[in-house]
Amino acid sequence: MAAKDAAMFRARVSVTAIQLLINMEMKPCLSFYSKLPSLQQLSVRWKSGVRPAPFLTATPVRALIDEQISIRGSFLPPHSPITLSARMHSDEGDLWESFAHFNTSASGTFSSTNDHSVGGSYLGCEPMGLFWGMEPAPGSREGLRLRKRNVEAPYVVRISLLEGHVSPSEDQTTELAAVNAERWYLSPGVKRIDTLQNGIVGALFLPPGPGPFPAMLDLWGMGGGLQEYRASLLASKGFASLSLAYIGHKDLPGPPNRVNVGDSYFKAAFQLLQDHPQVISDRVGIIGLSFGCYVTLRIATRTGVKPACLVCINGPVGSTVTLSDSEGRTEIFDSYQKYWTYDDQGYVIFKEVSLPANLPPDSIVELEKLDCPLMYIVGEDDLSASSIENADMIEETLRSAGKPHLFTRLSYPGAGHLIEPPYSPNARASLWSVKPKKLITLWGGHPAPHAAAQEDAWEKVLNFLNANLRR
Amino acid sequence: MERNPLFVKLSAQPSRALVDERFVVLVQNAVPGSQLTVHALHQCEDGHSWQAFAHYIADAMGTVNVSEDSSLGGTYTGTEAMGLLWSLKPVPGSKPGLRMRKKNVQTPMLVTISVYQGHQTDGFVDQAPLATVVVERWYMAPGVRRIPVTEYGLTATLFLPAGPGPFPGLLDLWGGGGQLVEYRAALLASHGIASLALDYLTCKYSMETKKTVSNQYFEMAYRVLAEHPQILGSRIAMLGLSLGTSITFRTAVYSQVIKLRCAVCISGSHRQPHNSSLEEILSFFHSNADKIRFNEENEVIWRDLLLPIPSDSTNKVEVGQIKCPLLLIVGEDDQNWCAYESAMDMKEMMEKAGNSHLLTLLSYPEAGHLIEPPYTPHVRSSQFRDMSTRQIRCSSGLHSFPFSFET
Repeated sequence: MAAKDAAMFRARVSVTAIQLLINMEMKPCLSFYSKLPSLQQLSVRWKSGVRPAPFLTATPVRALIDEQISIRGSFLPPHSPITLSARMHSDEGDLWESFAHFNTSASGTFSSTNDHSVGGSYLGCEPMGLFWGMEPAPGSREGLRLRKRNVEAPYVVRISLLEGHVSPSEDQTTELAAVNAERWYLSPGVKRIDTLQNGIVGALFLPPGPGPFPAMLDLWGMGGGLQEYRASLLASKGFASLSLAYIGHKDLPGPPNRVNVGDSYFKAAFQLLQDHPQVISDRVGIIGLSFGCYVTLRIATRTGVKPACLVCINGPVGSTVTLSDSEGRTEIFDSYQKYWTYDDQGYVIFKEVSLPANLPPDSIVELEKLDCPLMYIVGEDDLSASSIENADMIEETLRSAGKPHLFTRLSYPGAGHLIEPPYSPNARASLWSVKPKKLITLWGGHPAPHAAAQEDAWEKVLNFLNANLRR
Repeated sequence: MERNPLFVKLSAQPSRALVDERFVVLVQNAVPGSQLTVHALHQCEDGHSWQAFAHYIADAMGTVNVSEDSSLGGTYTGTEAMGLLWSLKPVPGSKPGLRMRKKNVQTPMLVTISVYQGHQTDGFVDQAPLATVVVERWYMAPGVRRIPVTEYGLTATLFLPAGPGPFPGLLDLWGGGGQLVEYRAALLASHGIASLALDYLTCKYSMETKKTVSNQYFEMAYRVLAEHPQILGSRIAMLGLSLGTSITFRTAVYSQVIKLRCAVCISGSHRQPHNSSLEEILSFFHSNADKIRFNEENEVIWRDLLLPIPSDSTNKVEVGQIKCPLLLIVGEDDQNWCAYESAMDMKEMMEKAGNSHLLTLLSYPEAGHLIEPPYTPHVRSSQFRDMSTRQIRCSSGLHSFPFSFET
């Protein structure tokens, strides 16, 4: 075909393509272009298409939740304002987003790892600020908290490079480039096994290979259900991990708002790990957050099992609900509201409930019987639990018992109750219950210090586990 | 304190990566000074198993860092961060002439990395490793779109990067083995270049009509790229390997329709009639068939086919007329094709014509013919089915270390 014909053909196709953008009609000769997404965004840039778009990269583009992702842009105009925005959907379908304002360098580049954000969801040089700085999009349901339900699939984050310093959810934006990053709670090769057939409501995560592995029992708080995302991460670090549900789960006995399982249940769960052919039986530890902290201490001192180490995060040394029997079962949580307080927004603060003086005395664990290393993590802005006072009590008791060397404390100013694996957003408050009335509870924690606490604590927890379970 | 080998910790980070990204394999908490073997196992799509292994000694901290420490033996020696991947070989007992090529680029390569006690050389399947991890190696980044293209009679696949574009484009041509080979185009799209993998030998048209494609076939492929709303028509490159370079040279110098921004030619030659069709090129090769040799292992060596290179411009693409940047990549141990000699001749032609400023020449000693994306295993010889469907083994040369892939 002669060059002239080719040019005419190209011009005709170009015009057709423009009409396509305007009318959103599919012409037959361009039928295979109908698979293209986001054609609307092209209309702004169509005429300026003489240079390729700026180049945006994220490394690694498939990362484990605790791995840093480095975002770089190049082929941008020098000394120019740009906005980096991130959007993703939670497993429940809610949209979470964040953004940061940068200025490109003299060579038209920027790096999220090295450069300072001058506006947006975070300020300053925060390599992972775009991730822990995420918030529910405007118009979202109230009181959301980001928690991964399905750990076998990643979060998919669309990271966009936008022109100028803009607020993506409010302003008109021009997307210059985009990259999709995946954030995983599970490494390749980690296996997930339901434990229900043993009468234990939990999920067991096994690292790849024959083992045997050190192991961890993973406990959460009164929020209930089966939360798998920390156990799956621990398995990704080489620990066989069992996340255990004990309240608020359809497969557990009794009503969902009280603890209907006793010491024998927790003992059986611990032994499920211990006796597993791929677990090193004398290298099993326990990690517990909030009420799970009390459960951890109770297992270690009352059930006869011998954990190799314990990690307690922001939790009490006794039950925050009256016990209904000597096995540790409790009354209904909401019936014990004596120590609940409220802020001026009507958010409920549970902190006073777990002051050692307010705990039911018969529930307080015999701390002097603790016989293994214990790491206690305090968020100093914890509004849900009296973490400092409980940490003090453990420390004092162990000192009096001649075992001060067993106790390690990590304490983080500005961090709240929910000290979780790193780089996820903190919920300063979130929905606690909908019945009998809608209640939002205050967890505490401010974004930047809480994020720093999560990052530091996770590394120290892993070091602690390696030191105690791999020796 | 005695350290129990049970407590060895193994990690490979990142555990999910693109095929051309590096990882760090770390063994920790081993007995200091102990002998360890790090092992990699991969089962490819056709079910064959490949393995690599290396011998290390744990340092005073009980650590082995594969990126920093020296392998004392195994399928690679010395400090080779990615040796566990590029030195993968078919396990003992495998059928000869295997080559690892990923057909389905939408799923990752899974590699199981383990650490064993002692310096082992075989029997890995029968032993329990001290620790194991699994890594995923991907040809496609998330968000890259794979679009089969059959318009205009083409057999091709378009890979579009994530994002709005517009993107530079690339036409990706493989060699005489034919087939629609997607993995390099997928990887390029994962780096921001919209790439079209094109089958021009075993495409639907050729299989049905038994004819070779005309120049128009390549022009249509170019058009698919040039007229795509997310691709810049003025920023299209062509990348050819082996026989694909013959098309690339001809296009870069003579085509009135295809305007290349730049050209990359790997392991190829300019030895062919001026401005010829694919059919004419193949006939030219066949006319020299008497120059084909066999080595002691009965492997075919084709490199003499186009030698000697004449000093005049008979049957040589006139690269002195090229107007766009040209990147030539050759392996000096290429047994399959006379790529090195051709590159030297092209350099001379361009110097004489005064356009050698457009030429970048990368010449790798001890590298062979199949210079592919990094960190994948090289084979010295493999099964090759040529156009007349004879099964033969051809020798490609040895490549002893990995290197980065440039466009």
